[in-house]
Amino acid sequence: MQQRKKVWTKKHPIAVTIVAWGIVLLFLIRLYQVIEPLLRMHVIENGLSAPLILGTSLTPLGLVVLTSGSYLVLSLVGIVVLYGFLRLHRWAWVMLMAWTGISLTITLINYFYSRPNYLVMASNIIIAVALSQADVQRIFRIRLDQGEHND
Amino acid sequence: MTDLPTQTPQNGPAADATDLELLRRYEPVVRYTQGEQFYPTDVDRYVKECSLWAHYPDGRDMLLVKQDDMTLEKLVEPRPSVFGTVHYLRFIESLSLTESAEVLANQLRLRALLKNNFHAGIGRLARGGLLPRVADALFTISFLLRGRVPAATAAAAELDYFHMRAKQDKNVYYGRVVRNNQNNWVVLQYWFFYCFNSWRSGFGGVNDHESDWEMITIYLYEDGGQLVPEWAAYASHDFHGDDLRRRWDDKDQLDLVDGHPVVYAGAGSHASYFRQGEYQAEANLDLPSWVHSIHRAWNKFWTQLLDQEPGDPFRIPFVDYARGDGLSIGPGQSHTWAPVVIDETIPWVGQYRGLWGLFARDPISGENAPAGPMYNRDGSPRSSWYDPLGFAGLDKVPPPPDALRLLEKNSKDISARQTALSTLIPDKAGELQSMGARLKSMEDNPHLARQYAALEKKIAASVLEVSGLRREYSENAALLEGITDRLARQKKGIPDDPHAHIRHLAMPVKTTRMRFDRFAETWAAISLSLLLFGIVALVFFAPHYLAAGLAVVTLLFIVTESVLRGAFIQTVSQLTSLLAVIGSVILFFHFWFWILMGSLLAIATFLMFQRLRELT
Repeated sequence: MQQRKKVWTKKHPIAVTIVAWGIVLLFLIRLYQVIEPLLRMHVIENGLSAPLILGTSLTPLGLVVLTSGSYLVLSLVGIVVLYGFLRLHRWAWVMLMAWTGISLTITLINYFYSRPNYLVMASNIIIAVALSQADVQRIFRIRLDQGEHND
Repeated sequence: MTDLPTQTPQNGPAADATDLELLRRYEPVVRYTQGEQFYPTDVDRYVKECSLWAHYPDGRDMLLVKQDDMTLEKLVEPRPSVFGTVHYLRFIESLSLTESAEVLANQLRLRALLKNNFHAGIGRLARGGLLPRVADALFTISFLLRGRVPAATAAAAELDYFHMRAKQDKNVYYGRVVRNNQNNWVVLQYWFFYCFNSWRSGFGGVNDHESDWEMITIYLYEDGGQLVPEWAAYASHDFHGDDLRRRWDDKDQLDLVDGHPVVYAGAGSHASYFRQGEYQAEANLDLPSWVHSIHRAWNKFWTQLLDQEPGDPFRIPFVDYARGDGLSIGPGQSHTWAPVVIDETIPWVGQYRGLWGLFARDPISGENAPAGPMYNRDGSPRSSWYDPLGFAGLDKVPPPPDALRLLEKNSKDISARQTALSTLIPDKAGELQSMGARLKSMEDNPHLARQYAALEKKIAASVLEVSGLRREYSENAALLEGITDRLARQKKGIPDDPHAHIRHLAMPVKTTRMRFDRFAETWAAISLSLLLFGIVALVFFAPHYLAAGLAVVTLLFIVTESVLRGAFIQTVSQLTSLLAVIGSVILFFHFWFWILMGSLLAIATFLMFQRLRELT
């Protein structure tokens, strides 16, 4: 029998893959949240046919455009974080962890004000646990082995 | 400066030198921090300034000898008392409100006059995080419930000591030499008496108390009729046994000035340090044991299961400033010592078991004055006095000349045992084989069943014995190898690592590692108060959002703190993990049935997969 060739490639831990898929999933959800209201208000077909602001407050169309715009920004941030995460950049880990922390805080506050969102809570917990794994932190140079230094 | 660390002179004092000669030969150079208010003084003058009191178990305090009548002779007069009585001296009498205001004002004037001011620099609060600061606030509040030395007492002590010193500036150490029953070590103890410990009031430390006793010890051995110093041990906070001592030739850890060890005294605390700098001391909050049990369990979960850094919010950071930039006392310095030789026969040493200053009724004892060199606060003997070797972990360490002799004796004894074993083992093994052959011949003979059983038992015992002897031979061989190697090293004069015995090395905090600036310090000082103001504002202006507001404000404070301390990533990671734990508990609370069923299904699928794989 021929001896198996050893391939010394650096493999991503499973947690990184889970988080990356999580970001992709969130990106798709956000994208849906961008497109769905615009479709509902026929903005894509007719363009901005009515005013966005009336006096000092937003019109229903203005609110939809603002919401969609916010989700679009979040989606784009998600893409940037995904790019950084897949390229194993340290800042991407920090941004994602901070974002998960903020998201968990909002979800918990909502829960205590009787507006629970268990699905978001569960996905945030999974991402937090995945990011806290020692091997994930080592890959992103968050946790250093003895004698290592962050450049 | 001419007093840089130098080599010890080759010629030590003669073995028959007097106690005073020995003490003077190795008396230390003590370097204080700029701003220190109290220096070693003599007990005679201090006692004359004191009154003697008794505190009885029913809570009464009775004046036994008033200040003007007080002498060292009166201090040791026998005073039979009921169990639980505490005898104590009082350096500063109770002060009225007017007197307190007066001494506090005079203290400020004195400090301005002397220009002996202390600058804390990087404040202690900035060195700990938000949680230790909360614990620190609790510690400060605990003084309202515990007994404490009032600030005016500290000020009055500073003024009184200043006047005592103005009359006669005499720096005394009380030296003790122990030559007998110390396993061939000669022990020199230097005891320093201070009128007051002003660590809390003067330097933001843990405690204040009237009077203070500190001590350092030098260990000598005899070699060729001369006494040679080998170790120095300094009493210090949080360290015990081996960690207290440094080898005389350890240039990294022990400064010598013309053969005199250098002590860096903590500002106000007077604790002794080998290196100059600022030491992070930690005080534990005196909490019920169940709180510590919960904290231990949480830490286990936090570190082992969540793989996070451990933390201890109940340890409050305090700084002991041993900068060595103030007054220096010792040979060749601006101030020199006036030595006094003491032993158990000196009445005030051996016969007075009470406290040397105010009994503040502090149950934790930090604010109660200490007892004398021979005793603890409860009157029991002080271990550093009756067991000076054990105090620094030296009871197991022979002096160098004895070490070689003891090693050679060990080697000789073990070699002799190995020789005996090399004859004994073949004999016993031969007997065992013979019994085995006999046992084999008994098989298939039912009438020999009884003898067979007895021999079987005997063989089992013999197997154990031979196995034990062989194990002993093997272990002895390894031990002998170690002893032989060590003997060879000792004979060649190769010294051991001078730090090998130290488990916890007291090191000053590196200020260059800290990235605090004025803003961080200010933040550290005001953050807790701001948080409390924020809570009050929420209660008044947004009561419906109190919980949410509290959570957001606390998180904002923690994140700000982490940015200032350069620990943003660690803090974000820990906070998110903590929130994930809370979220998991909530999910389990609501969906425990489905989580349980899901887990069972997962286990069942896994097991089925494993078993089916075995079939293929």
